[in-house]
Amino acid sequence: MIEIRRAPIDVDAVLNSVRREDAGAIVVFLGTVRAEGDVRTLDYEVYAPMARKTFADLVDRGKAKFGVLEMSIVHRVGRVPVRGDSVAVACSAAHRAEAFAACAWAMDEIKRIVPIWKTEHAARNRRPASQSTRRRGAA
Amino acid sequence: MRLRVRLFATYREIVGERQLAWAARDGIRLRELLDGILVRYPRLAAHRDTMLLAVNHAVANPDVVLKEGDEVALLPPVSGGRA
Repeated sequence: MIEIRRAPIDVDAVLNSVRREDAGAIVVFLGTVRAEGDVRTLDYEVYAPMARKTFADLVDRGKAKFGVLEMSIVHRVGRVPVRGDSVAVACSAAHRAEAFAACAWAMDEIKRIVPIWKTEHAARNRRPASQSTRRRGAA
Repeated sequence: MRLRVRLFATYREIVGERQLAWAARDGIRLRELLDGILVRYPRLAAHRDTMLLAVNHAVANPDVVLKEGDEVALLPPVSGGRA
């Protein structure tokens, strides 16, 4: 499953999308919006066609590199409130080591190469992006 | 020929548009297109060194020759931060 969506992430659907009879392990990572100062929401901007293509490439590379059976990536676009899930990555594998490793690697790659930017919105005001665009590592 | 230029985040705010319809001569290279964009929008020039360029949804070398209808994207950095 590869998806960029405005609606909240259905975590059960992401989890079930990687279930297989030959999988002995499933690892799910959720990136959630953290309260920091007066920030109440993050606004995610996505170059969707390129992001989808990059996600699909990551899934192929993750399977080849770690031997995982299935990998799903779902990312939100638009405003996500504090405590909300902004990204979900799920990996299934025969054993847990590959699933953990692939999930961590995929998330690092998402932050490194996928064209997604976020802007902080405080309780009252939207800060200028030049001052407030969070580096994407701080999910 | 006609090209579409997509802008995101900081670059979108500088230019004030999400995308531009750009008329260019046949055989223009990506680097030359960017030169023209920076002449028209000089505030983007400060970002040139960190700007990533994509053509038709894939990262592209500045020397690539563009074709009619290509979609060029100017991408601010997306890297960094803590794990």
